[in-house]
Amino acid sequence: MQRDLGGLPLAPALRARLVAAGFQTAQELLDTGPCGLSKEIGISKEEALEVLQVVRQECHGDAARTAGGLGATRKCTALELLEEEQAQGFIITFCSALDNILGGGVQLTKITEICGAPGVGKTQLCMQLAVDVQIPECFGGVAGEAVFIDTEGSFMVDRVVDIATACVQHCQLIAEAHQEEDHLKALETFCLENILSHIYYFRCRDYIELLAQVYLLPDFLAEHSKVRLVVVDGIAFPFRHDFEDLSLRTRLLNGLAQQLIIIANDHKSAVVLTNQMTTRIGQSQSTLVPALGESWGHAATVRLILHWDNSQRLATLYKSPSQKESTIPYHITSHGFRDVQPPAVTQTAEDTEMNPRKRPRREEEK
Amino acid sequence: MVVLRAGLCPGLTEGMIQLLRAKGIRTVVDFVSSDLEDVAQKCSLSYKALVAVRRVLLAQFSAFPANGADLYEELKSSTAILPTGSPSLDQLLDSGLYTGEVTELVGATGSGKTQVCLGIVASVSLDLKQHVLFLDSTGGFTASRLYQMLQARAEDKEEQASSLELRVQVVRVFNIYEMLSALQELRDRLSQQVVSSTGPLKMVVVDSVSAVIYPLLGGKQSEGLAIMMQLAKDLKTLAREFSLAVVVTNQVTRDSSTGPLKPALGRSWSFVPSTRVLLESKEASWGKATTQRLASLAKSPRQPTGIEVELDIG
Repeated sequence: MQRDLGGLPLAPALRARLVAAGFQTAQELLDTGPCGLSKEIGISKEEALEVLQVVRQECHGDAARTAGGLGATRKCTALELLEEEQAQGFIITFCSALDNILGGGVQLTKITEICGAPGVGKTQLCMQLAVDVQIPECFGGVAGEAVFIDTEGSFMVDRVVDIATACVQHCQLIAEAHQEEDHLKALETFCLENILSHIYYFRCRDYIELLAQVYLLPDFLAEHSKVRLVVVDGIAFPFRHDFEDLSLRTRLLNGLAQQLIIIANDHKSAVVLTNQMTTRIGQSQSTLVPALGESWGHAATVRLILHWDNSQRLATLYKSPSQKESTIPYHITSHGFRDVQPPAVTQTAEDTEMNPRKRPRREEEK
Repeated sequence: MVVLRAGLCPGLTEGMIQLLRAKGIRTVVDFVSSDLEDVAQKCSLSYKALVAVRRVLLAQFSAFPANGADLYEELKSSTAILPTGSPSLDQLLDSGLYTGEVTELVGATGSGKTQVCLGIVASVSLDLKQHVLFLDSTGGFTASRLYQMLQARAEDKEEQASSLELRVQVVRVFNIYEMLSALQELRDRLSQQVVSSTGPLKMVVVDSVSAVIYPLLGGKQSEGLAIMMQLAKDLKTLAREFSLAVVVTNQVTRDSSTGPLKPALGRSWSFVPSTRVLLESKEASWGKATTQRLASLAKSPRQPTGIEVELDIG
C-alpha cells in the first residue's frame, strides 16, 4: 500500500517526527512494527501501537475497496444513482407553485437553504415541512419523522397545531373522495397527537450547543431511523454575534456543512436550514444578500430566497443542481403555507390572509 | 528520504544496515552521498559490496534527465484533448481539456460550476465513449440532470443508459481523508491494470475541492495547508502518470465585505491548476432568471488570459 504519510489522519507533531525519521509510505510503517517504531521515533509503545492501528485501518479500508468489497464507500454508477433518485420521494410544501419550481418538493439527501428578511415566512415554511414530512405514502408523502433544531426560539407549538389540523383535514377530504382501503387505514394513524409526537425538538442557545447537537445527531438518527427531515431554524443567529475570529467562523461553518451533508446522505433525509439576510453596501446602491458570507453559499445544494414585492411574498429559486432559476408568489394563511389563491375562487382566503402573529408588511385596514 | 532497510536491494543485509546505522548512515541519501572508502574503513565492510549497493540504489531511486525532444514526442503520443461539448468553452480552453493537466472552474454560488461539469461528463461519456470518475463532495451531483443532458445530446435511449451505467462512476466523499483514500484506490486500480468495468478512464472530476479543505484551513492550525498540498500532489501525479484530464471546482471568497471576488484556497492552491476558468452569471436581478453565464480565462499555459465567452447552462 503505497499510501503517502501525508494522507493519513495522524497528529501533526507525530507526522513531523515520522518524516524526520525517514518514513514515507504507510507500508514502511507497517513493516517496522510497534517496537521498532517506538525506538526510531522516541515515542512510547502504546502510542506506536495506536499509530499502527490507524494506519492499518486506513490501508485495510483501501484494500477492501480495491478487491471489490463495498465497505463504507459511497461508490456507484450513475445509472444506479438515477434509479435511486427516481424512486425517492419529495417533501411537499402544500404550495404547488413552490413544489413545481423545486422539481416536486424539498428533495431528500440534499441540503436546502431558505434565506429571507425577517417576517417573510421562513419559520412558517419549516413548520409546514415538519408536518408535511409525516404525510403517509398513500397520500404522496414520505411518511417520515422530523427533527427540529431551534436556535432562535421562534417555534410555536400552537401554530404547528393549526398547520397539522389543516393537513389532516386535507388528507381526510382526499380519502373521502377516493374511498380506498389504505387511505382510510393510514388516516387512523395520521392524527394530531401522532404528528406532534413525531417532531423531535431541540433548543440550542449558542454555537457550541449547535455544533454539539449536530455531532450527536448521527447517533440519534441511528436510533430513530424513520427521521426524514432535519430542520435547523436559524443557522445564522448563533454565528453572527460576537465572533471575533472570522476565519474560525468559516472553518466551523464549513465543518458543520460537511457534517450535515454526511447526515443527509447516510440517513436519506432532507436537511433544511434557514438563514438571515444582510446588507451589502456597493458603490452606488446597497443590496440584501444572504448572511454568513460567500463561502457559506456553497454549503447548501439548493438555495431558496424569500422576499417581498410590495405586499406580495415571493420565493426565488436561486441555486439548484437540476432546476432552473424562477420566482413564484405564495401566501401564508392560517392553514399554513399555500399558493396564491386566484381572486375569483374563495372569499375566506381574503379574511385569513395575514397570519395574526406577524405584523403585516404595510399598514392595511384589516 | 527512504530509510535503509534489509531487502531494499540485493546485497543490503541486516548486518550491514546495523553497522551503517551505528556510523550515522540511516537513509539512502546519506548512503549515496557519503565517501565509500571512508565508510568501508570505519564499518569494516567490503568496498566492492558497498559500490554494488550504491549502484543499485542510484538506479532505483534517482530521477533520470530526459531530452526535451523525447519529452515532446512522448507528450504528442500520450496527450489527448477532450472536447467539452460546448464550442465556446472549447474555444476558451484551446480546443478542449488536455490530459495530464489539472483544470479548475471557479465561481460564486449558483454560477454554474456543477452544471458545466455535468455537461463535460455528458459529452465525454457519450460522444467520446470514455470513462469518467466523478468525486462528489457537496452532494450536488444529480443523476436525473445528467440524464436530461444526455437525452438532449443523443437520440438513442440505449446509448444513454449504457453511458450512465458503464462509463460514469460516482464516489461520494465528504471529508479530505475519504477523498485521499478514493484517489489512492483509483491509483492502485489503474496501476494494476485491472480489466473490469473501469475501462479506459480518461477524466476525473472533483466537485468541489474547497468543500473538503475549507474545514481545515484558517484558525491556528497549519495542518490544513499541508493536507491541501498533499491533495494537490496526488491530483497532479494522477493526471501526469496515467494521462488523465483532472477537472476541479473551487469556490470564491472576498477579502473584506466590499472587496472583489477571488478564488478560494489562497495563493498556494493557485499554483496547482494549469488552467483556471472563472464563471459568473450575467447581471440579472432576482426577477429575471437567466441561464447565460460568462466564462473568462484567468490562467492558462497556452492562451492569453482575459478571453471571455458566453455559456448557456440551460
